[in-house]
Order: sequence, then C-alpha cells, then structure tokens
Amino acid sequence: MSSILDKKTTGTVFSVQKYSVHDGPGIRTIVFMKGCPLHCAWCSNPESQKFIPQIAYNRNNCIGADKCSHCIKHCTSGGVTVGEDGKVDINHELIQDEYTLAEVCPGNAIIVYGEEQSVDKILKRVEEDERFYARSGGGLTLSGGEPFAQPEFALALLREARRRHINTAVETCGQAPWEVIEPCLPFVNSFLFDIKTMDDDKHKAMTGHTGKRIRENLIKIREAYPSMSIRVRTPVIPDFNDSVEDIRAIIEFVESLPGEKCEYEALPFHRMGQPKYTNLGLEYQYADIVKLDDTLVAQIKDLEEKYKNSL
Amino acid sequence: MECCLSHHEQMLEDKIKGIDNPYRKTHERVFKILDRIEGLTPSIDIQRALYFTKSMQKTEGQHLTLRWAKALYNIAENITVYIDEDSLLCGRAGAEGRYGILYPELDGDFLDLAVKELPTRESSPFTITQEDADIVVHEIAPYWKGKTYHESLNKAFSDETHALTYDDADGLHSRYIVNETSSFRSCLQWVHDYEVVLKRGFGGIRAEMQEKLEALDPFSPIDNTEKKPFIEAVITVCDAIILWANRHADLAEKMAAEEKDETRKAELLEMARICRKVPEQPAETFHEAVQSQWFTQMFSRLEQKTGTIVSNGRMDQYLYPFYEKDVEEGRLDELKAMELIECMFVGMAQFIDLYISPQGGDFNEGYAHWEAVTIGGQNKNGVDSTNELSYLFLRSKREFPHHYPDLAARIHARSPQRFLAEIAETVKEGSGFPKLINDEEVIPLHLAKGAKFEEIYDYAISGCAEIRMPNRDTYTSGCPYINFAAAVEMVLYNGKMLKYGDEQLAPATGDPCDFKSFDEFLEAYTVQHRNLLKHGFAQQARVIALRKNHFAAPLADAMHALCRKHCIDIHQPDVPEGIDLGYFEVIGFGTVVDSLAAIKKLVFDDKKLTMQQVIEACKADFKGHEDVQALLKTAPCYGNNDEYADDLGKYVDSLSVEFAEKYQAELGVHLDVRYVPFTSHVPFGRVVSATPNGRVAWYPLSDGSSASHGADKNGPTAILMSNYTTKNFNHRERAARLVNIKFTPKCLEGEEGTQKLVDFIRAYCDLRLWHIQFNVINADTLIKAQKNPEQYRNLIVRIAGYSAYFCDLSKDLQDDLIARTAHETL
Repeated sequence: MSSILDKKTTGTVFSVQKYSVHDGPGIRTIVFMKGCPLHCAWCSNPESQKFIPQIAYNRNNCIGADKCSHCIKHCTSGGVTVGEDGKVDINHELIQDEYTLAEVCPGNAIIVYGEEQSVDKILKRVEEDERFYARSGGGLTLSGGEPFAQPEFALALLREARRRHINTAVETCGQAPWEVIEPCLPFVNSFLFDIKTMDDDKHKAMTGHTGKRIRENLIKIREAYPSMSIRVRTPVIPDFNDSVEDIRAIIEFVESLPGEKCEYEALPFHRMGQPKYTNLGLEYQYADIVKLDDTLVAQIKDLEEKYKNSL
Repeated sequence: MECCLSHHEQMLEDKIKGIDNPYRKTHERVFKILDRIEGLTPSIDIQRALYFTKSMQKTEGQHLTLRWAKALYNIAENITVYIDEDSLLCGRAGAEGRYGILYPELDGDFLDLAVKELPTRESSPFTITQEDADIVVHEIAPYWKGKTYHESLNKAFSDETHALTYDDADGLHSRYIVNETSSFRSCLQWVHDYEVVLKRGFGGIRAEMQEKLEALDPFSPIDNTEKKPFIEAVITVCDAIILWANRHADLAEKMAAEEKDETRKAELLEMARICRKVPEQPAETFHEAVQSQWFTQMFSRLEQKTGTIVSNGRMDQYLYPFYEKDVEEGRLDELKAMELIECMFVGMAQFIDLYISPQGGDFNEGYAHWEAVTIGGQNKNGVDSTNELSYLFLRSKREFPHHYPDLAARIHARSPQRFLAEIAETVKEGSGFPKLINDEEVIPLHLAKGAKFEEIYDYAISGCAEIRMPNRDTYTSGCPYINFAAAVEMVLYNGKMLKYGDEQLAPATGDPCDFKSFDEFLEAYTVQHRNLLKHGFAQQARVIALRKNHFAAPLADAMHALCRKHCIDIHQPDVPEGIDLGYFEVIGFGTVVDSLAAIKKLVFDDKKLTMQQVIEACKADFKGHEDVQALLKTAPCYGNNDEYADDLGKYVDSLSVEFAEKYQAELGVHLDVRYVPFTSHVPFGRVVSATPNGRVAWYPLSDGSSASHGADKNGPTAILMSNYTTKNFNHRERAARLVNIKFTPKCLEGEEGTQKLVDFIRAYCDLRLWHIQFNVINADTLIKAQKNPEQYRNLIVRIAGYSAYFCDLSKDLQDDLIARTAHETL
C-alpha cells in the first residue's frame, strides 16, 4: 500500500491528547478512535462507544437563554428548551442529528464528539511533539473506543506512523477479528491489552461479549511476536472483578502465555467519566462509588508486585 | 496506585495533624531559627538610611563614588551588629526577625508619605515604630527632597512619554503602560565575583588599589579628579567591610565570655576567630568561605538596592575547593556543610526586599526576592561542572522546606543523568525548585552579543531569570516594562484607553469598524506597538543619562575586574570593555496574541461577529454580551502549539526584536526583548479594560511567555512548542523568556514519573528555550489554603520565577494562581 493512499485514509476520531504519561512508554500522544464492540457499563469514555459522531451538552458552559439563544433559534426538533435556572436543557434523543447546534453554540456547551480526519492530519498533530518522543521513547498511542474497530484506518495510521519513524502503541480491548489485527502487527511497537475477567459469563453480562476471542487474540499475538512489548491491564471494577480471585486468575492466564513475559497492571476504578455520561444524556450506574476498598487495593498491588518479581 | 498529595503538600498536612517534619533531626539548628521567624510581619529598620544620610549630608560636592564609600564606612562604624541565637554565621543589615531597610536616595521624595501607609497597605505590609517613623519624617526624608533620582527623572520626560509613564505630575503612581523601573532600585539584578573575595580577601583588593594609587600620574588632571577619588573610595569601602566584620568578632567574643553553654561558647569563639579573618583575608575553610561570602552580600545590601536582591552566583563552583579540602582533611561532612549554608539561607529569608512605592510593592508581591544560587552548568572550558556540592544544594532544598534562596540550575545537552534526575526529584517535592536555565540558548546568544567563550561558559543566573558574567557585565539601569495589551486597547479605541477616558494617549489609528481586512487591523496594532516602544526607548535614553549622577557602588566596583582596572564606577554608562545587557519587558504577550487571533478568526475569517459587536461587548465588559464573550474565547490561543495563534505571536515578537535591532545602538547598550513579569502582570492588568480574547476588564494579563489563564488546553508540551515557534531565532535581540509549567503529582508519580520529567527537561533543552520552572500542586490545595490561611501559612507556590508564601499574596493573585490550568492527566 502506498504512503499517498495511507495518508488520505480517514477515520472517526474524538480526541487527540498530548503529554500522556500513563499509556505506553515515554511521553505520548493518544489518538482516541470512536466506536467500540464492547459496551462496558463502567467505561470512563462513554463518548467512545458509538461509531457515529455524537452531540454532547455541558450544562455548566451554557451562559443562559437570556444572554444567548442561538441554539433555541436553530433547533428544528424541539429538543432544546429553557430550564428553570435560565440555562437550556437538551433532549438528546430529539436532537441527535442536529449537529449544527454545536456550530452555533458560542460557549462550548453543545459540542460534537467525533470527527472524520485523515491519517495525514492526525500524524501531523502527533509529530508536533516529536522532540518529546525522541527524548522519552514515546510516540503515538491508538486508543478508543477500539482501534481495530476501524480496520483500514488503524492499519493506515500504524503503517504511515512506521514510515515516519514514530513509535506506536495500541490500547485494545482485544475484541476484533484476527484478520484485522494480524496485518497491523508489523507496525506496532507495543500493546496495552485489556483482560477484564476470566469468567466468561460475567464478561458477557457486563460487556456484551465473552472474553474468549479476546484471550485467543492475545495468545495469537504472543505466538506471532513472542518478544512484542505487551502490558496486560485490568480495570478493577466494583461488583465485577474486584476480588483477589479475579485478579489472580487473570495473572495466572498471563503467566501461561507463550513468549516473553508480559507486563501486568491493575487499574483501580475511578469515576472521572461521570460528567461525560451526564453530557451525553446517559445514566452512569457508578456515579456514587468514590473508590475501591483500600485493603483490596493493597492486596491487588501485592499480587501485581509478586507477578512483577517472578521469573 | 493512588497519589494525590505532593511531598510538599504531605508535609503541610502532617504539620496540621501535628506530625513533625522528618528532616528536623538532621537540620535541627535551622528549623529552630525558622520556627522563630515564620509568620512574623516584617519590620522596618531605619539605621542604614539614617547613617547613610548623615554621611551624605557632610560630603556634598565630592566625587560620588567616594561619597558612597564614606557613607558605607559611617554605616559600618555605627550600625547595630547582631549575632543571632543558634546561628553559625553573622551579619545582618537590620533588626532581628524578618526586616527590610530603607534607601532614601531612591525614594526620599515620598518616603515620609509611604512610611505612614506601609503598615496598612494590602500587599506586603510592614511594621515601624512611631519613634523610627518620626526620624524618617523629620531627619531622613527632608534631606533628600529635591535631590532624588526619581525627581530628576520625572522632570526629564517629554509630555507624551510622561503621560504613558506616570499617572500624576509628581510621578508617584505608574500609568502601567510604559512603566519605568529604574527609580525603585539602584541596580538591575546583579551577581558579584565572590570568588575574588574568597581567594584574595578585601585586604588583597585593598593592596591592589593602594598600588594603583601610588602609580597614578601625580600631575594628571583626570588621575587626580577621577581615578584618585575612585581608588580612595574602593580602599575606604574595603576598610568599611573589614571594620564591620571585626565589630562582629568583638561581639562574638563578648557573648562567648558570658555564655554558660560550653558548646555555644565554643561556637561563638570560632565565629569570632573567623570574623577577625574574613573577609579581610583569603578564606581557608568552608566555614570561613561561607562567612566571607555572607558578609559580602550583606554589605552589598547595605550599599544599594539591587533589583530582586543581589544574587549569589555559582555557589557550587566557588565554594567547592573549600568543601573538598575540608572533607579531605576530615573537618567537614555533608550535614555540617548543609548546616552552614542553611544558616545562610535563613539569613536570606529574614531580609525582605522592601519596596516603598506602591508600584514596587505591586511588582514584587509577597515580599518576593530572588537571590539566585546557581548550581550545575559548565566550566570555563565548556565541560560539565556539576559536583558534590551541586547535589548537596538539591538535597538541602528537598529536606529544608524553605523558598529562599532561589535555587537555579544551569542545564545543558551534556548534563549528567544524575543531575537531571535529582533536579526532577527535587521538583517533585512540590515547592517548585530549582528553576532551570538552558545553556544551549544562553551561550550561543551571548557569543553573538560579544561575550568570549570563557566568560559565557562561566555565567551565573541572576535575579528572576537573567544571567550575568560577573567581570564582564556593566549595565545596571532598570528598564521599561511595556504593556502591549494596552496597545490592543488603543487600536480598539483609536489611541485611547477606557481607564484614562478621553485622553489621547497614543496615535489615532482610525475606527477599527472601518477596517476592511485583518491586515488593516494588524497594521494599526503595529503602529500602536511601535509607539509604545518609541516611548520605552526614549525613557531609557533619559534613564541612562541621569543615573550616573545619582548612584555609585564602590563595593561592587571592588569586586569587578573592569571597574578596578579602569578606575570607574559600575553605574557609569561608559565602563570600558564591558557588555551592557539591558532588556525591556513585554507584558501581556498571550493577551495580545489571543486578542489578535480572536479578531482575525471571528471577525474576518469566519465572519461570525462584526468589529462593532466586539467593540461594544468589550466596552460593556461583556455585560449583556456574554454570547460574544463566549464566542471570542473559542478562537485559537497562544500556548497550544496552534499555528493560527503562534504565527501571530511570532509576528508580535518580531515587532519588538526588529525595533530593538534598529534603535538600541543609539542607546549604546543592548536593550533586548524579555518576557519575565515578576507579578507585574497583575497591576498592568488593572489598567486594561476588556480585551477581544474574552478577558474581562482589569483582570491580570497573561504572564511572561506563558499562555493566558486557562487558554493552554493541550498540556505542557504544547506550551513549550508555542514558545519555540514564536521565537525569532534569527535575532540576537532576545533576552530571558519565562515559562511556568504546572504538574499535578500524579503526572510525576514514582520512578517512571521522575524519568518522564527528566525526558521533558531534555526536550526543553533541545528546544533552546531560556528558562523553565515547574509547579507541582493541585488546585484544590490552593482553594483550601485560600479558605484556611492559618493552616497553610507555609504553603509555598511559584509565580513568575519565584516562590512565595501563598498566604502572603493578595486575593487577586491567589485567584490568578487557582485559575491557571493544571495539567491533569487522570
């Protein structure tokens, strides 16, 4: 495939975040791709789940209908009304196709998550921080949503990044056809690979799919690239996998993988995604859970350390 | 897995909970001293002013440098000397506790008025006894009326320049448009060659000058009227500081005789021995070297008011031979060495940079001072010069939680990994030290300005973000601070500003509603920008012409090779072989760039607003025009590595550097472009009404070369890149640029976080940015501190190149800090 064609390939991206220090080696830029085959109830990026652009409304940024009424005038569906405090209220179902509302809103209250962008445009943004990658061993991290859910775009991005000598990492939920993942592998430097639980019933109930294909994909990556840098990660979620047993089972699976030892990291639940649920007009069932139990966190940390120090 | 308190925050939390500082045991002596002084409102000591004035009254008509030396001798002879409880060093310029001293030669014309207001002013109050206040009003101030530099300067400006400089006929209040800074200090930030004192002593310098005196042509009119009194002045000042040191020796002996505690008695006797020896003779031990340096810098404070207080130079370099020798001979270990330098640091902490004028107070809120201690860098041969003392200074900063001195590290492409890692660890402690200065920018730039390799390789950090070559720098005049956000306002209102009503302050550039293109708007801005530069440069021409008649600094001369060689005072404008490094300050860079970008984008490119709408909204301070304000804020902003804004930034910078290139030769000095505001972006903001970037009226302007408040939405790498892309590297008329980067502790967590900060610093070094400093704290802490100042009295934050107690700042500035974008990576 030629570089010219790769550069022109487009996909839907909802954010490009610079100075990321927790998602792969060094200082990185994360490209968040839109759309995910899983639908995890705890997802901290709810705007990443759907494949199409979505309207969100941040009520805090609304300056009030007495000062500004552009959205009310432009709305054709009746989905914009004035609330008791003078700020507007949005009916997300009614206005879901009215993207122009975001254009007329002066205050960044109504915005659209997701924009079609070309590989070339994305990589130009990524390259702006090349000095920081050069010094830190960082680069580009594809995240989402699920990068492999936009197969042509992901491949073109990774292949073109490799041509430009940008280090690449992919943060994946693992739920994708092997035929999609395999052609990308030559262009990936490292993976951040989620394993959420070894219990397939729980997995299906909370994400929409079992973990079977995910695990198979990880094994296949390991078989094809035994020395690929892989960090397996588990979001530790209350009432889902917040037990020593769950985590231990995952670590045992990781230990059983072929090839070089993978890194492992448990990520404690946080509710920082909560405002985004509100902005998208969605319910967030974890809104009231402040944090995990300290003792549990310590125990998990302990398992993590033991794994790290094992041969 | 969780980490939300920085080390510094953790120490504060511990203090509130009654848990003691873990380092107290190894720093017992200085903690004891610190506990006594913390939280005291500073007092004013009038002795320096009194003895200085009394001598000056008797010497009218004589050579100015000699008059100054005689005044210093009078001070040395009569000022009260102190030996602080527990301290191993002595030498104070005034009363015990936190204190400030007066320089009536600077502000004697309004000193009496100011002294009455000082105890009650909002920012940085001081106490003074009624008796002392009476002496100021009746004995000191009257002599200076009609004689001060400030009065001469006020009369020297053209009407147009005066209107942009001062708000009143007497020049007591600034207009904050083209602000002069030469009348509230006698000297720009400065670094002495302390090494000459340590190696030769003032006795050695005195002997050199004595030889020179004998070699003068006895019949030469110049030798007799210029050189001879100059030499006599340097000899007199050497005698003065030696006398002052010996008075401390007398006191130490007297106290030792009365001391019951044997340990302290021994300490006092050792101090007495040292004070008899230094600074007259060369130092031989680490303790002697530290005491000699301390006497010198304290006497320098008595000599003159140096901007931001005289800096310490490359302390890890000139103290190292003494450290090495003492360690080798078993006299010294790390803890003992830290104790000595920390005795010096608590001494620095107690001396407050008192600004009498309301303007000076605004410039340096929170009693700010920047007596920079330089560590790291390269030696005269261009080889890395980091040593064990460099690391000891970093360790002291981690363990001894105080914001003085202003620790400043020189870094370069070959800085050792250990040095950068320890810098990162120290930054992570949360008090924001050290600040960094980049050799890769400073060295080539100063070669282009005329320095020799061996001089610039050996530079020291000076004041807030500047640099000095102690035996080559010869420019001491404070320079203009120019409010370029005012230039934007002058475009909107055709040469006027809302704050100053109908007064036509600047050229009429036309009604912007008639502009057909953004180019016309930018042309009008260019006219206003250049007009302010014109008056800034005119102002400086008068400053240079007048200062030489008012200021001298024989102690500084004694330590400057060129002054000794040519027998000329450092404040004279024509010291042969010197390099005159001056600069003017760009205030409100981000505000200007964002305003221009908003006009370009919304009025001319996207046509979402008309110029009329923007002007009406700004005039109304956006009241009733909140939708316009919201829209203006969506425009591209400086600090995001966004070409749209940064191209405008580079243009705005080019206006300044090109003007400087064209006209500085006439002034005979470098007057380069600097972006370092101290805290002055706050008072400058108070005269600028609402701006087209959505900033409300009277709100602080953007700070240095940092982004406008909250406008930097792409994180710290983008801020650095915007700095890089807006610099005109093809011009040598560049001076310091200050960059503040704020991190939450989470970004820097663990060893990995340390390494990522090291990598970040390396990338900053590659980008040839001049300065950087980090603030590791979260906004919640600041909000808590604002609500409960009593509990957070020792919370240290960094603002524009320095650290201060958060609770010492006005609410205005606290809000400013809280409003800055924290680079949260959750």
